[in-house]
Amino acid sequence: MRFVGESVTRVEDRRILTGRGRYIDDVKLPGMLHAAFLRSPFAHARITELEIGEAQKLPGVVAVLTGADIEAATVPIQVMAQFPDFKSPAYLAMATDRVRFVGDLVAIVVAESRYVAEDALELINVEYDPMRPIVSFDDAQDSTAPAIFDDIADNVLYRSTSTHGDVDAAFAAADTVIEETFTQSRQANVPMETRGAVADFDPGTGDLTYYAATQSPQGCRFQLATYLDHPIDRVRVLSGDVGGAFGLKGPVHREDISLAAASRIIGRPIKWIEDRNEHLQASGHAREEQMQVEAAVTSDGRLLGLRARLLIDQGAFPCLPYAAVLFPNMIRDLLPGPYRFGAMQFEGLVLATNKCWVPPYRGPWEIETWVRERLMDVVARRLGMDPAELRRKNMFDGAEEDRSISGQHLAGITSRESLERALGRIDYGSLRSEQEAARAEGRLLGVGIATFLEAAPGPKENRMFPEDAKVRLESNGHLLVMTPQGPHGQGHETTLAQIAADAMGLPLDHVRVVHGDTRQTPMNLIGTGGSRASTWASGSVMVTTRKVREKALGIASAMLEIDAGDLDIIDGMVVPAGAPAKAMPLAAIAMTAYLAPESLPPGTDNHLEAQETFTGDGIGGSGWSGGTHLCVVEIDQDTGRVRILRYIVVEDCGQIINPAIVEGQIRGGVAQGIAGVLYEKAAYDEEGQFMAGTFMDYLLPTATEIPHIEIDHIESVPVEGLDIRGVGEGGAIVAPAALTNAIEDALLPFGVTVNEQYLPPGRILELTGAIPA
Amino acid sequence: MKPSAFEYHLAVSTDEAVGLLAEHDGDAKVIAGGQSLVPLLALRLARVDHLVDINKVPDLQGITANGGLRIGAMTRHREAERSALVRRHAPLLADALTYIGHAAIRNRGTLGGSLAHADPAAELPATLLALDGQVEVRNSRGTRTVAAADLFTGFLTTSLEPDELLTAISLPAWRAGSGWSVQEFARRSGDFAISGAMTVLSTGADGRIDDARIALIGVAPTAVRASAAEQALIGGAPSEELWASVAEAAVADIEPPSDLHGSSAYRKKLTSTLVRRSLAESASRIGAAA
Amino acid sequence: MSRRPVHVKINGVEREGYVEPRKTLVDFIREDLELTGTHVGCEHGVCGACTVLLDGEAVRSCLMFAVQAEGCEIRTIEGMAGPDGQLHPLQEAFRDNHSFQCGFCTPGFMMTAAALLEEGPLSEEDLRHELSGNLCRCTGYQSIVAGVMDAFGRSTPAAGQAADAATEAAR
Repeated sequence: MRFVGESVTRVEDRRILTGRGRYIDDVKLPGMLHAAFLRSPFAHARITELEIGEAQKLPGVVAVLTGADIEAATVPIQVMAQFPDFKSPAYLAMATDRVRFVGDLVAIVVAESRYVAEDALELINVEYDPMRPIVSFDDAQDSTAPAIFDDIADNVLYRSTSTHGDVDAAFAAADTVIEETFTQSRQANVPMETRGAVADFDPGTGDLTYYAATQSPQGCRFQLATYLDHPIDRVRVLSGDVGGAFGLKGPVHREDISLAAASRIIGRPIKWIEDRNEHLQASGHAREEQMQVEAAVTSDGRLLGLRARLLIDQGAFPCLPYAAVLFPNMIRDLLPGPYRFGAMQFEGLVLATNKCWVPPYRGPWEIETWVRERLMDVVARRLGMDPAELRRKNMFDGAEEDRSISGQHLAGITSRESLERALGRIDYGSLRSEQEAARAEGRLLGVGIATFLEAAPGPKENRMFPEDAKVRLESNGHLLVMTPQGPHGQGHETTLAQIAADAMGLPLDHVRVVHGDTRQTPMNLIGTGGSRASTWASGSVMVTTRKVREKALGIASAMLEIDAGDLDIIDGMVVPAGAPAKAMPLAAIAMTAYLAPESLPPGTDNHLEAQETFTGDGIGGSGWSGGTHLCVVEIDQDTGRVRILRYIVVEDCGQIINPAIVEGQIRGGVAQGIAGVLYEKAAYDEEGQFMAGTFMDYLLPTATEIPHIEIDHIESVPVEGLDIRGVGEGGAIVAPAALTNAIEDALLPFGVTVNEQYLPPGRILELTGAIPA
Repeated sequence: MKPSAFEYHLAVSTDEAVGLLAEHDGDAKVIAGGQSLVPLLALRLARVDHLVDINKVPDLQGITANGGLRIGAMTRHREAERSALVRRHAPLLADALTYIGHAAIRNRGTLGGSLAHADPAAELPATLLALDGQVEVRNSRGTRTVAAADLFTGFLTTSLEPDELLTAISLPAWRAGSGWSVQEFARRSGDFAISGAMTVLSTGADGRIDDARIALIGVAPTAVRASAAEQALIGGAPSEELWASVAEAAVADIEPPSDLHGSSAYRKKLTSTLVRRSLAESASRIGAAA
Repeated sequence: MSRRPVHVKINGVEREGYVEPRKTLVDFIREDLELTGTHVGCEHGVCGACTVLLDGEAVRSCLMFAVQAEGCEIRTIEGMAGPDGQLHPLQEAFRDNHSFQCGFCTPGFMMTAAALLEEGPLSEEDLRHELSGNLCRCTGYQSIVAGVMDAFGRSTPAAGQAADAATEAAR
């Protein structure tokens, strides 16, 4: 290994630094038109009249298509229909008779420019008959409220219940039962590049080429083919640089289907670039969840039992294909985290509301970490214990037999080490003394600890979704690596090249990673997401490159008449053991295989290409990424400002391919976690009106709000096997817990419990009692 | 998010600009730095038929000292922020300017544009009020001056007529030895403040306060002066207790708006804190060189 | 509404276009001049992705109309590297400090930082304040701050001017 483990310069960097990246809005095709969508201003209403005549007449307008036009060209969407007990509503790409959230699609205008398309939107006349909007958790559970979907009786789309161990006995044996309800607000992924696409249907060939900004080119192709009822062999997805996504661009959006349908109807290429207002309102939201918990504990701090009831507000439409129904059971499995609970009872509901849909957002199961780690602090406080001590007391060591109450095999986890390292790094004892001194001066200093586990790839029994890579040794001895991943900032063109270069024995610049062209890359519906790439894409590239290496050595063996076992590839040269003078460039071998295969002995495999599946075989280590975050804050009790004084991360993601990239993932995740607590809220009012449609309302933090983040790696590497674990989501799932714990700790003099995740300055002052709630 | 169409008129003199406003009476809007206007147009929250661009009008530029200060309406925030004249003759303004957006906004935004836009959460209306400044206004028929107190009539509304162009800002002479302070609170760096307080304090030979200005931002449809609280300061000796009691008084009669960033009660509490801090800072600067 | 001619000198090259007055400067740069390195992030002046240098000063190109740039000199990310492909010290510093992930915000940060470099080094705190008009969703900012701090150490205004002159000469 020479490149793995190094912060090598990213392959992607030069084009990005010189303004030559190719993002979706940079695609320009001959004859290309521009689209704009008319969106519903009501949360829930019937469309009683839709008049498009004036808009159609506007010079520069090519077409105005309504829900009826799109319906005729598409197949109704129904997701996760195979998921047991999920009442999955069928819905259309564009509304026909009824709108179900502010931003729902009502019509698409196709025009010579986006400017003209927006002019035309103003000429479409729609009459709405408003209906009662379903906005809150209570509304959605109210069986007398109108159902959002005609084919489903109420708005509870899914209910999961399970019991693990003897819960009643646990509660009967408890010294104390602690009950809390923890609520998260809506947030959103908000990549700096909004959604967008260019749909190019060629009436001559019947080919639909879809230029997408997607995390999953193959997934996009599959869904488009399905819902447009278009032969998949005639659908090609091309994706270039993607300007961030964080889960949002894994799904296929109703706009994608509508746009592709419009191109097929009109027979011309159409670009749609979402504006920021549309994006904030209608692209996707996340995290609006609530969990009611009861913890049965002993007075010395043992966790006997847990009852949890989870509510997920999934918005109006189940997201395609990653509906929120995927999350309750993940949350259940991860809820006990690295701690020993004696028993657990879980109920999880997915609720439909008249709000924007909910695609995955960086660790979509995040509430398990937040609630558990909040609960640990609340329990510690009630019992008069130090929160670090309570964690120590209940934490698994990662012994072979360790299993959480939800059944997760925790052998090899390093939670305890991460906790101790974080505490040591900050000198926890002194910090507590400092805190006491600060409190004596009337200063509000707080410390928050939170520990998490991320199933990336997870323990053996939970590993799913094998992945392929395709690798070809070109005639110049360079390697082409084709992956179904859809990178959007993670640097896969670099990290996968590092893996392949080491596996083959090549200089890094002899490897080219290809993604984003579904005619070249292997099939895989997921693409980039779920912190999978580190393990699954790396593994697939490794096993496939090894296969090509084996083939190349077979040919070299024939050419050199040396046993393949005595050949190595070093820096692009095939080197015989003990006879370096006979070394031959890999290019010479490849050239022979391509141009003179007849010169090779009969039976030699001269195809320097392979596609292999990585099934997870050979993964070593625990399978769990994880770590501990520690946060120190000071709160200004006059303004409610929370200032983060220190933020420490101790992370274990196994072997690190590229430290700079790993640390970038962690810091970016932490920033999003902090943002969810202090700045960001995708707010709706009681009528379901969206309130945060600009960057003046939805506040992304800036360089002054995000602190310096210190990172320490554990990098536990197993004795044998591939142990590269995912690191994309951990920062985002644990930061809200560390920060809200620190805030509650700072507010200790006021005796408050922090039950909400979103804590803007005004809310802080309500909690301290400085202003009425 | 694209603006609707308009006719564009590039004025190269004040005469031409006011002529265009007269010609398209009521259907024209002036664009100066555009940092507030363009977003409104892009969001189609505002639309114009005729846009009169005054960026290339030479006589709207420049800062001159005349006892006080006269600042051309097209003077960009950045130029004023870096101006030694502004620092010397209007230190409150110099400080206030640094709170406006970010450098890229201040490189285009203009003093006249900010005042004409009259955002109650913006810095300059409050500054003009605190300094008892006035603006010069022209239309095709003549020129008038409008005192700060008469300029801001409502949310994003001034007493300017549709055909009038704000041409310059005048600030009275800075009283030597006065202390000043701008205190704002925004959730993020560079945002419009949730609320803010600007104060100027002067003391007589006896060390007691003989002039006090308190201007508040973000608490009412326009920037406002806290006149009663100012009165309560006169004759007082600087002290933390005085600042605290006056800070309470300053917010006693305000009914601030609620929005996503803070409730009315929060704004009230916050404003009181900012007034207190601002008075303390102003007092600490009394006698200091600007 | 009638179109108007617009002449600008962009990255040292005289260019012209013919646009509707309502066309924003960023749309003009991207669509008419086909320089797509400058990005559109919010179109209401908050995110800073569209930041360019206009007559040497950082401005939001979404908050100006193209017609207002008549006669102006504009510099965009495409004008940072030398004609021989030699990266500007700021580009090198961004690369070496992993100052971006998806790269969408990078042109805006780069042009904001380019203006800062002309004014000389800043403390980290002041730099964070100066960069707060640009939003990044990937990095958590630390690596961007490190990149610009690094560039302060590498770059002198003279180096930037030399690069400009070289660009100019090549064209």
